[in-house]
Amino acid sequence: MIEARGLSKRYGDLLAVADVSFQVGRGEVVGFLGPNGAGKTTIMRILTGFLPASDGTALIAGHDIFDDGIAARRSVGYLPETPPLYPEMDVASYLRYVARLKDVPRARLRDAVDRAVERCGLRDVHRRVIGTLSKGYRQRVGLAQAIVHDPPVLILDEPTVGLDPIQIREIRGLIAELASGVEEERQTVVLSTHILAEVEAICRRVILIHGGRKVLDASLAELTQGERLEDVFTRVTLGADRAALGGEA
Amino acid sequence: MRHLFAIAGRELRSLFVSPVAYVVLTLFSVISGFLFFTSVLAFDAQIVEVQQLQMFDYLARINLNDHLLGPFYSVIWVVMLFLIPGVTMGLFANEKAQGTQELLFTSPIGIWELVLGKYLAAAAFVAILIGIVALQTGMLFLYGDPEPWKTLAGLFGLLLVGLAYAAIGAFASSVTRNQLIAFFLALVLLFILWLLSIVADLGAAGGAMGSESGASSLMRWLSSADRFEQLVKGLVDTRDLAYFGFLIATFLALTKTAVESVRWR
Repeated sequence: MIEARGLSKRYGDLLAVADVSFQVGRGEVVGFLGPNGAGKTTIMRILTGFLPASDGTALIAGHDIFDDGIAARRSVGYLPETPPLYPEMDVASYLRYVARLKDVPRARLRDAVDRAVERCGLRDVHRRVIGTLSKGYRQRVGLAQAIVHDPPVLILDEPTVGLDPIQIREIRGLIAELASGVEEERQTVVLSTHILAEVEAICRRVILIHGGRKVLDASLAELTQGERLEDVFTRVTLGADRAALGGEA
Repeated sequence: MRHLFAIAGRELRSLFVSPVAYVVLTLFSVISGFLFFTSVLAFDAQIVEVQQLQMFDYLARINLNDHLLGPFYSVIWVVMLFLIPGVTMGLFANEKAQGTQELLFTSPIGIWELVLGKYLAAAAFVAILIGIVALQTGMLFLYGDPEPWKTLAGLFGLLLVGLAYAAIGAFASSVTRNQLIAFFLALVLLFILWLLSIVADLGAAGGAMGSESGASSLMRWLSSADRFEQLVKGLVDTRDLAYFGFLIATFLALTKTAVESVRWR
């Protein structure tokens, strides 16, 4: 569903992402793990077509993000770090607007909105103005806009940041639900986080990003054999730092 | 271009949910109403004066179009110069400030659809403003007999000026994430455009025997003042229409470039 080939991103002299490649299959839930500033957001922005890569490319559901950008973007649902909400709109008309932007056919607009409202638990607030909603509800509206057109690929940038424990559990439950079910309906989910417990809770595979490089790509099961994820994380990131320092010395 | 109306519709609705639309509409109605009223009074006073002075040949030439609507439309023009930046300041700056441009750029829409959709919303709002002026003008038809085609040409001229200003305002909004900066940048650009005709006049006056230098004729070409006056006089010339079309197209193209440039960084 997602195939990244040698993605790199430069900001002037700063190399934010260096030669990152990976593949994600249908129905997989993959966690992008890494310290803050590791390049997780940049990779996600490239995959969603928000930023162009300086080098390399990626295929989303078989569409090249550069040569066939429109089709690739149609196949992605994206929840950025701050949900892209219009505070003056009500939830239902906002979702309807997003659905129109994402090319949901007119006849199916109402169904698409209803389904997203239902799945994200927004039934009670769907007539409320977004600006008056609590942070937890806003995050859910953010998630609802990402899934409203039922995309095969979901990219979620820190979907649970700033939520309370109960809300976190709900969002995680929802993500797990999206990736389960019948083969054809399963969605591929890539989410970023720096919360290790989150990865353990919902992901089956981890891609560890550090200093803009992919330093680890393994299933959670093989990773945590006899070792806690926290230790793996510390070992790998510190190891990478030491290697970098050693290289300079 | 399917998304064009979705984008324009959302933009218009959010203008009318926020106070911006109402502030601009109220200000515009009050100011233009006041100006219309004083224009009528001034026209009346002029007629009385001309009668007292017994200038009969002037009295025969005096008419509603040239002596009431012309000056009235010219001040409305100045009012638009201050108010249209208020309408357009949020167009793109707001999306950046709210983080909603991430939604727009990751959706399967083209940049032109985005720019034209936004512009369409601003243009519709300008049309509402001109509608208010048309209502006021319409009252003259109840009590007098202005020339209909000439009046329409004048309103059309105001509309063209408003549409050009909206394009310039859209550009100002596309280069910043701060609405206030967008407002003042638009104001400065419009003011420069407006001043050009005055500078061109000064240049012509300073030139030898009234022959215009290249620079001042360029400035005269760029300035909208003369063209607007032609329209108010009822002279619809293709060259003037082309000028406004050129102005709108140029600034929309600049806007598109500015919006796109987010992806270069």
